[in-house]
Amino acid sequence: MIEVEHLSKIYGSTPAIEDVTFTVEPGEIVGFLGPNGAGKTTTMRILAGYLPATSGTARIAGYDVHEDSIAVRQRIGYLPEVPPLYPEMTVEGFLHFVTQIKGVPAGDRALAINSALKRCNLEEKRKVLIRKLSKGFRQRVGIAQALVHDPPAIILDEPTVGLDPRQIIEMRKLIKSLAGSHTIILSTHILPEVSMTCSRVAIINRGQIVVTNTPENLEASLIEGSGYEVEVEGDADTALERLRALSGIRLVESMAMEHLPENRSVYRIVSETGAEPGREIATALVSAGLGLCEMRRTRASLEDVFLQLTTSEKAIADEEVLKKSKVKNQKSKWAEEERDRGAEENSHSVLSTKDEAITESQSSSSEESEKQKGIGDS
Amino acid sequence: MRIILANIMAIYRKELLSYFASPLAYSIAAVFWFVAGCFFMTILLGEINQAAIVDQQYGATVPPFDVPYRVLQGFLNVMGSFSLFILPMLSMGLYAEERKRGTLELLATSPITNWAVAVGKLLGVVTFFTAILTPVLGYEAIALSAADSPVPFVVPLLGHLGLILVAASVLSLGMFISSLTDSTVVAAIFTFVAVLLLWTIDLFGQMFGGVVGAVFGYLSLLKHYSNLVQGVLDTSSLVFFASFIVLGIFLTAQSIDAFRFQRS
Repeated sequence: MIEVEHLSKIYGSTPAIEDVTFTVEPGEIVGFLGPNGAGKTTTMRILAGYLPATSGTARIAGYDVHEDSIAVRQRIGYLPEVPPLYPEMTVEGFLHFVTQIKGVPAGDRALAINSALKRCNLEEKRKVLIRKLSKGFRQRVGIAQALVHDPPAIILDEPTVGLDPRQIIEMRKLIKSLAGSHTIILSTHILPEVSMTCSRVAIINRGQIVVTNTPENLEASLIEGSGYEVEVEGDADTALERLRALSGIRLVESMAMEHLPENRSVYRIVSETGAEPGREIATALVSAGLGLCEMRRTRASLEDVFLQLTTSEKAIADEEVLKKSKVKNQKSKWAEEERDRGAEENSHSVLSTKDEAITESQSSSSEESEKQKGIGDS
Repeated sequence: MRIILANIMAIYRKELLSYFASPLAYSIAAVFWFVAGCFFMTILLGEINQAAIVDQQYGATVPPFDVPYRVLQGFLNVMGSFSLFILPMLSMGLYAEERKRGTLELLATSPITNWAVAVGKLLGVVTFFTAILTPVLGYEAIALSAADSPVPFVVPLLGHLGLILVAASVLSLGMFISSLTDSTVVAAIFTFVAVLLLWTIDLFGQMFGGVVGAVFGYLSLLKHYSNLVQGVLDTSSLVFFASFIVLGIFLTAQSIDAFRFQRS
């Protein structure tokens, strides 16, 4: 249904996306996952025919988005990053306008509008001016606009932004209900969203597709970055010592916390792949006479998954030294960016950066040794 | 063809709706009516007084001059210049607003051609201008109905047609400028400067003289407008306005389409 081949978009000299290739089968929901600025919106815009690609082709339902723009536009529903709404119109009036410009026959318009209103739970807001709607409702009107003409392909750029948790659940249900009869590509930076709605996930980072996989496989790789957060009462040095002595643990970090009662400290523990050291941690702390006040399982954030995925990509690309150094450069750039972001955000991400820095140095040293081996072989 | 027409109508209706639901449009209309009313009163009373003075001093020795005609001409000339200030304000938001709100992304990804959007938008804004001009026609009807020898209906009509044509040309240019930016203020300023230049280009033409002067003169909006105001229906003026409007629509459609062709 959607075929994208070697798509690149270059703004001036900075590439927004580079050599993006993927396909979406009819009836599938594909999630486009990536941090801000990864090129999600650019890809969506190219698919919708709003922006031209610098090179490469994208086809929807067999029509080239650039050459047969009008034919493509007839077959897509598109929700841009900012919902395209006219504040002075009522919800119904706006949807009527959309059916007109999307070429819905006059006789079918009322039915199409009603069904879109119903699907997006907007019936009570039918006569309300868009200007007076809250952000969540506006987002829903934006989605109603994308599916009012019942297009075979739907492109949604961050469909759940601005919705409250209950609305997000409803929205996911709605998107899922559209699968089968519609082909959907949606972008997001929220990982659970993808795992809950999409049948396949493409992860994009710095303009390149890092991996395409099913959410199940992605979830599996998630466990790698999981660990625990424990709050301990008692001597901090003993606690750290005990925790570090445990097997199946990759990293123990002391976390700086405000408003912590005296004599307590908090640690972040990252477990090794496949290890489940929960029991050992608890036993070790309690047997050392320390108080275990809180123990919480932590899941890897999207950033962690990203770095993991780039690492595993590297393992595949290792045959080629040149390619490898490119990936490494990219990764260190990423780490830099991450550090900058971490400074602004909470201490947690700072710690994860440190963690990454450690794995980074580990992997680069192993890389070097391999490089030497490669030279020796040649 | 029917689809294109339907698309134009959809855009046209949406534009009209946005004007009649927008406080900005109403304030522009209010200012327009107030100022137009003031001008009309001033010109009307001025001409009547002047006629009375001439009558007193010279009596029947000079040929009587046509007060209604002079009032109409004076008023329409003033209205033409005054419209220069109003029109950029009407055209500034045509595309800049769509860009700012992100709704251009909706229009550009719908199965509707750029020029259909441009035509619909221009029709909408010209209709709005015509609508705010209509009460002014009422002022004239009241005043001129008191004229001793009745004024031929066609004279004010031609003048107003001229005003609408000038307005359509200016709005067409303003629409193009608006399509280049996402700031309404920038669009308004540049439109104003461009229109001022086209309004007064005649003066530059006179400095040069010869063929260049003739060309400049032909490009002057004011010159073509005053033809129509004087009740002269000149085909070349009509052609000028028509080509001006078409050019504006063409350029607008191209500027929206332009970035679609930046491809290596």
